[in-house]
Amino acid sequence: MFRLSATIGLAAALALPPLALAQQAPPAPPAWQQGRPDSMAASPLAPHAPKMTMTPADRLPVDALKVPEGFKVELWAHGAPGIRTLAEGPNGTIFGGSRTIGRVYAITEEGGQRKVRTLAQQLNQPNGLAVRDGNLYVVAINRVLRYDGIEGKLDNPGQPADLTAAFNLPTEEHHGWKHIGFSPDGRLTMNIGVPCNVCEFDRDRFAMIVSFRPDGSDRRVEARGVRNSVGFDWHPTTRELWATNHGRDWAGNETPPDTLLRIRRSGEDYGFPFCVGTWNDPAVPQRQCSEFAQPAAALGGHIAPIGTRFYTGTMFPEQYRNQLFIARRGSWNRETLSGYDVVVARIGADGNVTGIEPFLTGFRDDANNGFRGRPVDVFQRRDGSLLVSDEQNGAIYRISRQ
Amino acid sequence: MLRGAVLAAALAAAVAFPSAAQDAAKGAALAEERGCGSCHGARGIAEQPPMPSLAGQPAEFIALQMILFRERLRDAPPMPDMAQGLDDAQVEDLAAHFAALPPGPPPDRGEADAAKAREGEALAARMNCGVCHLPTFAGRAQIPRVAGQREDYLAHALAQYRDGTRRGSDTNMNAVMYGVTDAQITALAHYLAQR
Repeated sequence: MFRLSATIGLAAALALPPLALAQQAPPAPPAWQQGRPDSMAASPLAPHAPKMTMTPADRLPVDALKVPEGFKVELWAHGAPGIRTLAEGPNGTIFGGSRTIGRVYAITEEGGQRKVRTLAQQLNQPNGLAVRDGNLYVVAINRVLRYDGIEGKLDNPGQPADLTAAFNLPTEEHHGWKHIGFSPDGRLTMNIGVPCNVCEFDRDRFAMIVSFRPDGSDRRVEARGVRNSVGFDWHPTTRELWATNHGRDWAGNETPPDTLLRIRRSGEDYGFPFCVGTWNDPAVPQRQCSEFAQPAAALGGHIAPIGTRFYTGTMFPEQYRNQLFIARRGSWNRETLSGYDVVVARIGADGNVTGIEPFLTGFRDDANNGFRGRPVDVFQRRDGSLLVSDEQNGAIYRISRQ
Repeated sequence: MLRGAVLAAALAAAVAFPSAAQDAAKGAALAEERGCGSCHGARGIAEQPPMPSLAGQPAEFIALQMILFRERLRDAPPMPDMAQGLDDAQVEDLAAHFAALPPGPPPDRGEADAAKAREGEALAARMNCGVCHLPTFAGRAQIPRVAGQREDYLAHALAQYRDGTRRGSDTNMNAVMYGVTDAQITALAHYLAQR
């Protein structure tokens, strides 16, 4: 812990304009406040409180949710506080990761009802979940665990294989939570976020998407200069990696935008901390933004894109095939709330994004500049229906054709 | 003060998601049954070091800490053991109970040391404590009330954040406290306890 704090503190101290220097080193602001201009020092904006207690079914915002004509949205499961990432086992178990509450959930269907189990607990932000060959991989902050044959032992999972040493991930906590996924060629892929809001840091260690063999060997850099990506997927036909990326805070309501990246070749550099697209961040040394790869689309300022998955099913109409669903968890660092929805990125035949359109709305309460829920992941089941997790309410909704 | 109150009201309006029906009366009965008052005071104002006062804390803060104890994610004996077996509704009832109690300083609070309080005030201003804890230090949502808290508890908690032996629902306080000296912690705790 101390080493973590020291690293973040030093990084912040180097990057920030000097605070009033006394005889001792000035305290570092919390990571989410770094890069905030003096003019916004008294801004009341701060991250929203998590909710880690169960929300009863009759208090869920299901009736407020809206989907396009021909679709329906219903409650699928609830009673899983803080649920975020979704993954599915070969027998249909839905696994759920979390952050603050430290749990991994397993949800099974029994007699038309869903049963929620807490599979693992006391983990440090176990947000990274993926299933491969019946084994569940869980990546918490600086821990990589594998539960072999998990669906055969949901009531008594026992001790997982601990692969932490083999992966040798950074220990920094801020932006240290993971999204993971297996690439089409079987490599375990994950983000390594930057341990600050904006700072100068070792670009060979942080702000990357990296991949490994499933045993933690053969690390490869898939993308650089990616501030923090907690959602990505591979295009079903081109196999290109598409990732969403969170822009930094305190540079304006719309600036910089959160982005969608189309990573055509391993190792492409997206410019953080220097550039987002053509925007040159004034808080760090200036570089030519033309040096860096450009995002495929801007997704809005501070909207926090997370779940990012291509639709490959047949339940939805043809126009959704191979299109990208993105859950936008919703903003805190802008004056008017934005996001809190699921959108579809339309991708044309040439692989370019032609538009971003709303798909699931109603979480945002515009009349009160508030919100009713926070969608975090989108996950297509084998029947072609789409599950959406709501972290704030500990619930999962199911979207299907009417 | 007025500005703080307006700010708090605006922030309260920002979160419109439904909350469970908390029952402060049930929470009071549960607090009695579990003997919370023996450390935290009969009316939520702790009378012995280094116990924190809970009266007037934001309900979200108390619920969050109780969950961290129950899930054994925060270690502060005997609280993790005391929290076992509480269901979510009981946690919310307890939170509603303590949130509804009037806050106030502990009976053994000493006289203010003007020089130390001034140093603490300057530090609190430089460290932007009032941005999250509000200018009144009354706290909001997951962020605790620190005004009038026990000085010994504040010093203990701030040192824990600095030394990385405690974290909240995130690591922001750890970053805030990085490099803060023991003398500065003493001054901060004194200033906030006297608020």
